[in-house]
Amino acid sequence: MKRRNLLGAIAAAGALGAAPPVRRNGLRPLFSDCGCAPQVQTSKDKPPGSTVFKDVGSKLRITNMQVFGVTLDERIAQADRPYVFVKLETNQGVVGWGEATLEGKASAAMACVMDLKDHIIGSDPMQVEHLYQLMYIGSFYRGGPVLGSAISGIDQALWDIRGKVLNLPVYELLGGPVDPRGVRGYYHASAWSLAQARELRDRTKAAGVTALKFQLPDLLEWVETGAKLKRAVKHLEMLREGLGPDVDFACDFHARPSPTVAAIILREIEPLHMLFAEEVCPPENLRAMAKAVKYSTTPIATGERLIAAYGCAEVIDMGIVDILQPDIAHVGGVTALWKVSAAAEASGIRMAPHACEGPIGGIASLHVDAAGPNFLAQEICGFVDGGEKARVWEDLMGFPAMRMVDGRYPLPRGVGLGINISEAALKRYPFQGTRPFPTTFFEDGSIASL
Amino acid sequence: MRRPLPDFGVSFAPPQSAAHPLAITSFRAWRIKEPVSGRRYTVVKLQSQSGNSGYGEGGPASGLEIAEARGAVTGRRATESEFVRSRFAKVPALEAAVSNAMLDLVSRSREIPVYQYFGGPTRFKARLLAHLEGADENAITPSLERAKRHGMLAFTMPALSRDSMVPLRAYVDSMRKRVAAIHAKGGPDAEWVLDASSGMTPGDAATVATALEKNHLMWFDEPTGVLTADALAKITSESVMPIGLGRTVTDISFFQGLLRDGTINVLRPSLGLNSLVKIKRMAAIAETHYVAVSPYHDGGPIGTLAGVHLNAALPNSFAQQVPVPANDRDAAMRADITSGNKEVAEKGYAALFNRPGWGFDVNERALDAHSEERI
Repeated sequence: MKRRNLLGAIAAAGALGAAPPVRRNGLRPLFSDCGCAPQVQTSKDKPPGSTVFKDVGSKLRITNMQVFGVTLDERIAQADRPYVFVKLETNQGVVGWGEATLEGKASAAMACVMDLKDHIIGSDPMQVEHLYQLMYIGSFYRGGPVLGSAISGIDQALWDIRGKVLNLPVYELLGGPVDPRGVRGYYHASAWSLAQARELRDRTKAAGVTALKFQLPDLLEWVETGAKLKRAVKHLEMLREGLGPDVDFACDFHARPSPTVAAIILREIEPLHMLFAEEVCPPENLRAMAKAVKYSTTPIATGERLIAAYGCAEVIDMGIVDILQPDIAHVGGVTALWKVSAAAEASGIRMAPHACEGPIGGIASLHVDAAGPNFLAQEICGFVDGGEKARVWEDLMGFPAMRMVDGRYPLPRGVGLGINISEAALKRYPFQGTRPFPTTFFEDGSIASL
Repeated sequence: MRRPLPDFGVSFAPPQSAAHPLAITSFRAWRIKEPVSGRRYTVVKLQSQSGNSGYGEGGPASGLEIAEARGAVTGRRATESEFVRSRFAKVPALEAAVSNAMLDLVSRSREIPVYQYFGGPTRFKARLLAHLEGADENAITPSLERAKRHGMLAFTMPALSRDSMVPLRAYVDSMRKRVAAIHAKGGPDAEWVLDASSGMTPGDAATVATALEKNHLMWFDEPTGVLTADALAKITSESVMPIGLGRTVTDISFFQGLLRDGTINVLRPSLGLNSLVKIKRMAAIAETHYVAVSPYHDGGPIGTLAGVHLNAALPNSFAQQVPVPANDRDAAMRADITSGNKEVAEKGYAALFNRPGWGFDVNERALDAHSEERI
């Protein structure tokens, strides 16, 4: 009874605090405020609104938040960008890690993570949904890639803490793995001749890998020449011939073509029965994308630039795609990726989460993938031959992170996200500033979509 | 409405190590019937290798279905709610009971409340909606008085059914009078939901919804049993009265379709037919349409209190429905099952139990005493 009275008192105090200012003559000022005043909570709680949960939450509290920029040597990670890692510390010694890497905007993502500090320090990390709402709705500007990535990094770290505290891997908290052996994955690849494609096929099979992803051979304008269209189709036909029927392959159009050009290519590559065609045109205009894909039965995938479940709702509801590819480092972490997966499942859409960041995001994705009946395949920016980057990731993570075994990424066996980042290793790859996303141009000097 | 999920060709791996602490080793069930209302529900108890146990409630299920469920989940880990959602897609009452029992078990094994396991509290108290027994303003009185004594401030009121001989205008006037009379009974602090229990044609429902707009009811519940897009659009395109429905729906995709069409304002999945895990998925979809979830419940007290945990953990929940018995014998039985009446509120809100699992002790002797069958 006392507890209820106390909670009531807190609510009343909040209401009093919210009252608009009163002049000396007892009248409220007219025409001198925007009207928000009666609704604004003037609570001095840190984080805002937290006091009311003190009797229903845990005793765990976030005591510190750090953000790490991690820059790899350009020679070993050409297309990679500085990784942005987030570390949360608690009053009980449990720490959580997440990833907020944002291509070409590392400094902005790092600053945005720290902008959210007042929402996070002092909070109960077990309240993952509430804290997600606090960061998303409480930021007023809902979404966008910078905020989405910052929320993603923090949310992953919160789930890592949750799992560690509950002594369970995150995928167990999400409903258990469909297949404990792991989740199917694919690597990136390129081959520019039939001989190369055949050699790639042999190495792929030898590594036990079942799927690869390629890109189109050219940049594409909004209307294209017959020569370039033919080269695009011939390239994909060559890949199918070289890889044979047993290696699945996808093609990332990388939003280069217009819907007009995409429709022509999609029409002609249907007989190749590809795993999927990705980002077949730019993502901003879904009606335009719908126009492009209606001529093809090749599975269409998109979603890496979509933020929050809200950002994915329209593409699901319009029935444009067969496969959704939100990125756990942008969409809003475990919380948002799970929600998108739930909505996709109800519409018969499979999930193939994008992951072109560092190893934490990839591993966090595996947890959501494992518990999703509609999961198809997980991306990572890696190759059949792991090379120097795989060595760096092993240095950071202490194990060969995101390397497939028998065509699957093995599920982490540890609790939480199942990772333990070496801060000593992080120091070997110090942040060297934002690396802009590479730009490219057509031969007439106009900007091309890469 | 009992369509399975979209088929992704998924086959779940067989049970892992039977020695795992969370591996389910024991499964019991009770088929419960309340003595006066005749309300039926199923309670499942699971026990794991570690000795932890958990209880879950679902709608009525047959003995055969329960026996099959026992075989399917024994040896599975109590975290495998996705397996249960898939395996029991065509037996929704047991999907709810088994999955919820697993949530209770795992939460108890971690010594945290279910709402904490389920994503943590998004609110520190949960609004209750009292579902009153009785078909008219007089018949609801005992139930209403009980609900008010138990601190509830939001109630359902029964809509009038329309005899075909009654002119539409007279019917609407009668409905207005009923709403006014029931409003007066509830007092100034009461909030109301008009419950048509699927009893109207879409056309009549549209007329009633429009006529009652200025009464500011919270929503118009289950106005029609005709759940086609066109029928529901007839109601929602003519009125701004919020429409709540879905008490018979077990298909997440069906709700998604209503949300796309804009023909639903409050999702009302039944706790007897959908697990908390499944309703969380429905809620995630509803969230992107700015639609609230307020689970329907016409089962027992374990179900009600599970709904309170769900309400606490979802960002877009609004209220948890509580069946409030008119008869003392039913009320006593419900209190007996939960070792004392827990279906109570203070100023309209239920407090959250910050104790492991559901946060109360299930009285197995009461389950034994009130069951039609123990399995």
